[in-house]
Amino acid sequence: MSTSDNPACERADLIRDYAFDELTPAERQSMEQHFASCSGCAAELDRLRLTTAALRVLPDVEVPRRIAFVSDKVLEPKQGWWRAFWNSGPRLGFASACVLAGGLIFASAHRQPEVRTIVQTASASQARIDAAVSKAVSEAVEKTHADDARLTQAALDAVDAKYEAKQQELLVNLQQSYEYMQKQTQRIVRSAYVQ
Amino acid sequence: MIFRAVEDADLIARTRKGEIEGFNLLVSRWEKRVFNYLLRLTGDPDDSMDLSQDVFLKAYQNIRKLDDTARFGPWLFRIAHNEAYSAFRKKRPETAPEENFFERQTAPGMAIDLSLAVRGALDRLSPEQREAVVLKVYEGFKFEEMADILECPVSTVKSRLYTALDLLKTELAPANARGGR
Repeated sequence: MSTSDNPACERADLIRDYAFDELTPAERQSMEQHFASCSGCAAELDRLRLTTAALRVLPDVEVPRRIAFVSDKVLEPKQGWWRAFWNSGPRLGFASACVLAGGLIFASAHRQPEVRTIVQTASASQARIDAAVSKAVSEAVEKTHADDARLTQAALDAVDAKYEAKQQELLVNLQQSYEYMQKQTQRIVRSAYVQ
Repeated sequence: MIFRAVEDADLIARTRKGEIEGFNLLVSRWEKRVFNYLLRLTGDPDDSMDLSQDVFLKAYQNIRKLDDTARFGPWLFRIAHNEAYSAFRKKRPETAPEENFFERQTAPGMAIDLSLAVRGALDRLSPEQREAVVLKVYEGFKFEEMADILECPVSTVKSRLYTALDLLKTELAPANARGGR
């Protein structure tokens, strides 16, 4: 610490703290009382005030150019990883996906036997379902075939019956035509004999 | 002063939310003080302007690292202090900053008025003593804040300041006498 201009006084070192307002209110009040009774310290305080007043004759100068910032991602405040994580939608989404994927992997790793059972059960059930479906399909096909055959036969029978009836009708017509021709022939022969 | 601190804290909060205008208001509030502090350290207006821009850019980028928003001023000046010394090291890597960076050509006895006498007296202080005077007399920081800015103990700050004031008192006494006539 530098020397004071009033080394005889034990409170001289507090003069500068007083001048620069670095004392507590109680210390400040005590020093003010001291200055009233110690002319050496009071003179030192005046010299100090004169020096600082002289220093303050140098004025502040105006800033040549105003400083201003525009919004730019490159210049934006640096964020801690935790803050950056919460402030970023994509990062949060990616992290959520990672957590989900991790959860699935964990679950699959720790519940593998159960999954196998389920898979096996599912396979067995599938076989039964396949057999039942095949059987049902076969039955349906057979039934359809039978129905088709029955319908076809009925149609054929109907056609045959119609054909038979038609034939019968033709035979009757032929018979009648024959009998008519025979009568006509006899009549012609008979009239020829008469002549 | 308390009202001012609250306002600064509000602007810092707005900046942290991504409002660039909040930070621009902070800049407009502090740029003159930062510029003059750097000017008194470097003596070069162009260098001081460039350094001021760097200081505020760094402050903007690191605003979330500021723990106590009420201490924005000392935090900002600490950045300014570091930027000034960092710039010196880049400029003159072969010399120590405390010896040459802040030297200016003002010879003793050449002062023709009080302001020139003051400039000359300040120039003859060591850079550390001059910076202590600038932070205390011109910027009005408390010893604890100066210790934060300069990253040294309060006792060191007081020692530098009081030694400087003793030297200045001797240097400026004749000029004060002339000025008082």
